[in-house]
Amino acid sequence: MQLLRRLISRLVGGAIMVLVVASFTFFLVRLMPGNPVAAEYNTLIMRGMTPTQAQNEVRVMYGYIPHEPLVDQYFHYLWQLLHFNLGQSISYEGVSVLHIVLSDAPWTIVLVFLGLITSFLLGVTAGVIAAVKRSTGLGNALTVSGSLLHGIPQFVVALLLAFLFTTLWPIFPFGAPYNANLTVGFNFPFLGSVAYHAVLPVAAYAISSYGGWLLTMKSSVISVLGDDFVLAAEIRGVKPRIRFGYIARNAILPLFTVFALSLGFMFGGSLFIENIFDYNGLGNLLVTSISNRDYPLMSGAFLFITMAVILSNIIADFLYSVVDPRIRRST
Amino acid sequence: MSLYDLAPTAEDAGIHIQNLTVSYDTDRGRFNALKNVTLDIRPRHITGFIGESGSGKTTLAMAMMNAIQPPGRIDGGAILLDGAGDVLQLRGEPLRRLRGRYFGFVFQASSNSLNPLKRVGAQLMDLGRSHGISDLRGLLREAKALAERIGLDGDRVLTSYQHELSGGMRQRVGLVFALVLKARILILDEPTTALDMLTQQAVLEIVRSIHQEQGLTTIVITHDMGVVAEMADRVVVMYAGRVVEEGPTFSLLTNPQHPYTQGLIRAIPRITGNLDDAKPLPGSPPDLATIPTKGCVFRERCYARTSVCDTVDPVPTSAHGDGLVMCHGVDAS
Ligand SMILES: Nc1ncnc2c1ncn2[C@@H]1O[C@H](COP(=O)(O)OP(=O)(O)OP(=O)(O)O)[C@@H](O)[C@H]1O
Ligand SMILES: [Mg+2]
Repeated sequence: MQLLRRLISRLVGGAIMVLVVASFTFFLVRLMPGNPVAAEYNTLIMRGMTPTQAQNEVRVMYGYIPHEPLVDQYFHYLWQLLHFNLGQSISYEGVSVLHIVLSDAPWTIVLVFLGLITSFLLGVTAGVIAAVKRSTGLGNALTVSGSLLHGIPQFVVALLLAFLFTTLWPIFPFGAPYNANLTVGFNFPFLGSVAYHAVLPVAAYAISSYGGWLLTMKSSVISVLGDDFVLAAEIRGVKPRIRFGYIARNAILPLFTVFALSLGFMFGGSLFIENIFDYNGLGNLLVTSISNRDYPLMSGAFLFITMAVILSNIIADFLYSVVDPRIRRST
Repeated sequence: MSLYDLAPTAEDAGIHIQNLTVSYDTDRGRFNALKNVTLDIRPRHITGFIGESGSGKTTLAMAMMNAIQPPGRIDGGAILLDGAGDVLQLRGEPLRRLRGRYFGFVFQASSNSLNPLKRVGAQLMDLGRSHGISDLRGLLREAKALAERIGLDGDRVLTSYQHELSGGMRQRVGLVFALVLKARILILDEPTTALDMLTQQAVLEIVRSIHQEQGLTTIVITHDMGVVAEMADRVVVMYAGRVVEEGPTFSLLTNPQHPYTQGLIRAIPRITGNLDDAKPLPGSPPDLATIPTKGCVFRERCYARTSVCDTVDPVPTSAHGDGLVMCHGVDAS
């Protein structure tokens, strides 16, 4: 019951955040130098359209009328948003933004989650070893590997991987999520091609997040190892396997917070990583829409990435409250 | 045959500590927290450990279970346990099993001796599983009965998480964990600090009757002379990592031989007496780094100091009939 109430309150909070971000993008587009909507309107007029025609055209593209008062435009925009109408793309003429965003989103989500899971598993395991064997060479080596990799920015990792494995030693492909000659569907060659194309971007995500997991897990394990209850369990003669479970569960708790932050970081990183590997996902979409000055598409992609981050945060937070009884009862 | 293959001892478990030295590694170097402690803990007796904060009481208790944690280290000595041999020689699995079978330990900071993420009942079952108990329901019933005996609501406690219990409740839950496996030796490290006077009275009463029923060897570490006077059959007085006096409670409290023990007893204010009658000991105990390595460790605060105290380590002298005292000022008799 308490969990349900918590979940609902988080969802309401998430909805409010989405609203804030949507409003933010709305005003951002309007405040951009040269007001893209008015500019588009003017271009159309110059091409010989009548003001009404131009207004209708712009309205279809952006979902609002440029010469309305700002407040009216704003509510009009929100109303359209409620009906999942994000307007139409400018660079892909006439195609609805929602359609483009939805077709690119799954790739980004798959990449980000694979990267997250890979780095989490590797980093957490290495973190436990680094903590338990912290006075040995292995423990030190792991810690150093974590600190080093943690310091390298995502785009550098991605560039390096791209250079090494698509140019210098071309064993992995560059670009699109799968080989375009294959039939899309649940068949082996297609899935294999998807996996093959995903290796480098996923590796880029994983390598750039691994260090963070390792270092956080290491310090978390060390702090739990110093807790009274660990010694108490040892003195009571509790089996090592059970004790390990006690330590692991307690040590992994603080990582839920990092998990939520890390998701934001990774979706943010999709801008660089997808762009570097020319991989068709939301991040790449956002970058190209910015360089094409395709504002409807830009705000659509931006809104979608934000929603993905907010939703993942809600999930992480909810899971946290499931595993920690102390959180469960509060708020 | 390995040591832990022995059947659970229904017989008495005395502890014979021989020449035990324990040191801690600190920023300023490695220092002895216990030095050459030799002491017999008698089976079926309640032994009280007293001494100022930092005198090594907890360290001694932990050493008995071979549970000194880094940066601490056992430098030498033996802990001979009746029926089990030298505890300090055990490692790994044999040590683990021995701990469950012989020792029930209630932590000084027992307010945090439970895993915060698991219910008390589930942790009791983990304990049972760890020590080969197949009837886990029976174990929970037993725990519930124990909990109720010391004034807890058994059902509520077993289904609670640690954070849902008060400090005093946690301490008593710690006691349930220590008793439920029917270990032979019960060690209570300041077991009643979180309890009010009335609950403390009741809990000690029950500990005493369980001690008698099960023929336990019980050690009570405390700062509270009242607890010692009431509970203990024998008293061990510790100072700066040494046992300075040891003997039967009545004799030791009414006729203390060591100047330190005398000072401790004089320092207790009585409810009925005048507060000014209580005389605190002058000075403060040395910390690990400033304990003298030669001569008597108490001499700086002693009223009976002579030149021999500065250079010669005092040796155990028999006192209180079957006890001992370590002081140059006491004549062997
Ligand atoms: N982990 C540690 N590292 C360094 N020194 C320690 C450590 N644990 C204990 N000591 C030192 O060992 C000495 C004995 O400590 P111990 O905890 O045994 O005292 P105690 O008699 O139980 O005191 P209290 O009555 O305050 O519980 C103290 O001087 C203490 O500073
Ligand atoms: Mg202590």
